Amino acid sequence: MIIPMVRVRVMGPRDRLPDALAVIQDAGMLHLAPPPEAGPLHPNALTPAENRRRRKLLRILDDIDAVVPDSTPAPGPQPAATVSDCARWARLARRLRRGLGRLDRRSAELEEELALLRRYQGFFSVFESLLAAGSPRPGFSAFHVVLRADQRDSLPSLRRALDEMLGQACETLERELPGGETAVLLLVPASRAAAVEQLLAQTRVQEVPVPGGYGPTLLEAVPRMRARAQEIPAEIERVQRERSELLSSHTQGLARARASLRDRLARMDALALTAVTPHVFVLDGWLPGGTERKLSSELERALGSAVLLETIDRAQWEGEDAPVVLHNPRLFRPFELLTGMLPLPRYGTIDPTPYVGVFFPMFFGLMLGDAGYGLLVALLALVLHRRSAPGSTLRAVAEVAGPCALFAIVFGVLFGEFFGDLGHRWFGLEPLWIDRGEAMVPFLVLTLGLGLVHVMLGLVLGVVAGARHDARHAIGRGLSALMMALIAVAILAALEVLPHEVLTPAVVGLLIAFPILIFLEGMVAAIELMSAIGHVLSYARIMALGTASVMLAIVANRMSGAVGSAVVGALFALLFHLVNFGLGLFSPTIHALRLHYVEFFGTFYSPGGTPYQPLGHWAPRPARTA
Amino acid sequence: MSILWVTLSAALAIGIPALATAWAQSRIGPAAAASLAEKPQLSTTVIILVAIPETMVILGFVVSILILLRGQAG
Repeated sequence: MIIPMVRVRVMGPRDRLPDALAVIQDAGMLHLAPPPEAGPLHPNALTPAENRRRRKLLRILDDIDAVVPDSTPAPGPQPAATVSDCARWARLARRLRRGLGRLDRRSAELEEELALLRRYQGFFSVFESLLAAGSPRPGFSAFHVVLRADQRDSLPSLRRALDEMLGQACETLERELPGGETAVLLLVPASRAAAVEQLLAQTRVQEVPVPGGYGPTLLEAVPRMRARAQEIPAEIERVQRERSELLSSHTQGLARARASLRDRLARMDALALTAVTPHVFVLDGWLPGGTERKLSSELERALGSAVLLETIDRAQWEGEDAPVVLHNPRLFRPFELLTGMLPLPRYGTIDPTPYVGVFFPMFFGLMLGDAGYGLLVALLALVLHRRSAPGSTLRAVAEVAGPCALFAIVFGVLFGEFFGDLGHRWFGLEPLWIDRGEAMVPFLVLTLGLGLVHVMLGLVLGVVAGARHDARHAIGRGLSALMMALIAVAILAALEVLPHEVLTPAVVGLLIAFPILIFLEGMVAAIELMSAIGHVLSYARIMALGTASVMLAIVANRMSGAVGSAVVGALFALLFHLVNFGLGLFSPTIHALRLHYVEFFGTFYSPGGTPYQPLGHWAPRPARTA
Repeated sequence: MSILWVTLSAALAIGIPALATAWAQSRIGPAAAASLAEKPQLSTTVIILVAIPETMVILGFVVSILILLRGQAG
């Protein structure tokens, strides 16, 4: 449900505004509203000096956020920051940011150098052995060439060109590299080195130069590179240690500074949401219903009778402006995860969470509908529950999966399914209600009936939500729901499921209701009615997915007898069941969600609510852990 | 009605919507992936958009089963 809010107004002498904001922040209950504009009141704009202070605060916070993760909690209560505190924190944050930046850059350089050395080490080890084999003579230059796998064909032509240019004076040694490339060492007279370099460029052959800083020749460079590659990991570790020491010595202090500065920034921003005269301040806001007395007494205790809190009459404010807080019973609270995937509902409309809490697991259970698979889902939910922290998303997933598993087990027993027909084969499990493998039409009728109930419930909720704001539209919704019920009655009477006598009254009712609906909402109502009927048909997916699931499970069980070896057959069956279980988790979730978001919510849900964000103390962002 | 026509009708009833669904999802999928790369908060919308064309093949499946059942009864 959406918690009812009350709009309140806080008033007092202008010089007590900072104190009043501090008390409101300590209470952490008031969601501030835009300032009222009436009579001599005008919005309280920040002075140039205050704006400068605000920009400075933002700069300091930017420095702190860059070095301390915003999930780091601040130890203990935060005393108000003085000017000298701010200056000290600003210097510390800037110095730390620069220091950490320098260490990060150094670490990145070392990582890059190590990666380069490791990459070239493969090439140069080969060239080193080629050089040793080629016994380089004085006055000769060495060229290190790497040919890609697709360039191997160019080696004979390169050799011919070198022979034509240098005759027997050129020595060529080659070796294949592990990656399919070919390392070629060319030893040529130093006097012809420039010509060879030009030839290599013309033939687009890649020459690997000796990396700078390790020595003029490869024979000198390779041992140095090898030694350097061994030194670097220790150096990286030293830099990382220095970084973590630097950070750990200041993390607590900076986290405390951030909490204090964020609080101060929030109070400065709150100033802009007040209205003032030369002597008085006024600020408006929303409180969860029933908490106004608590805030009032806290203001009175801290500031005496100088600051007043009064409740604004409900008739004087628009419901759409109020912030939204969802509060559901413990059983339904995990399902806020599913409704939370959509924008918040507007204030004054309906929170669909309790309905999702009932119908989502039911649809999931109907689609999976197998006691064996249901037990596996329950096991997964249990494991997830044990491994997740209270309040985390994973915990909510586990708590949603629990009821889904329960419904799957219940429907599995009703349908007589335990890993398909394995329950029947092993312990004679029989369907108590519907055999999904055989009675497809009754199952289809059941799902369409469920769809009719679900869509009509949505239309009724639309009537309830709209009754307060748009009575005409609400009546239209109600009439649509009534017409859908009449259509269902007429169809059942025509199929002789209901007594034939009710057919005529149902059709007459439809003929009367249809023009009234058009009169109330125009031609678009007819389209919406057709769309609602289409939505009911969409619930046939429950039957389709359920039938597919049971058929796949039966096929999996038959695998064990279809293959010659019993062990291979059992493995095939197990694999098939595993695939079916994976599909059975994924498809029912997606389609149950879709049935809610499109078919059900479409009839009544009004998104666009403002989240409730009271002026309070800064809290660290939850860490991304289970 | 001969078994051939019943089987062929059932096959067409599911086959054509399956192709249509596949075509629709092949168009939606890349667009959805591109949207998610820029705005990960659109994941719910994307799930719904990708699941919407599946209605065709699901209804085709239902119709196909009904054809087969009627064919058996006939």
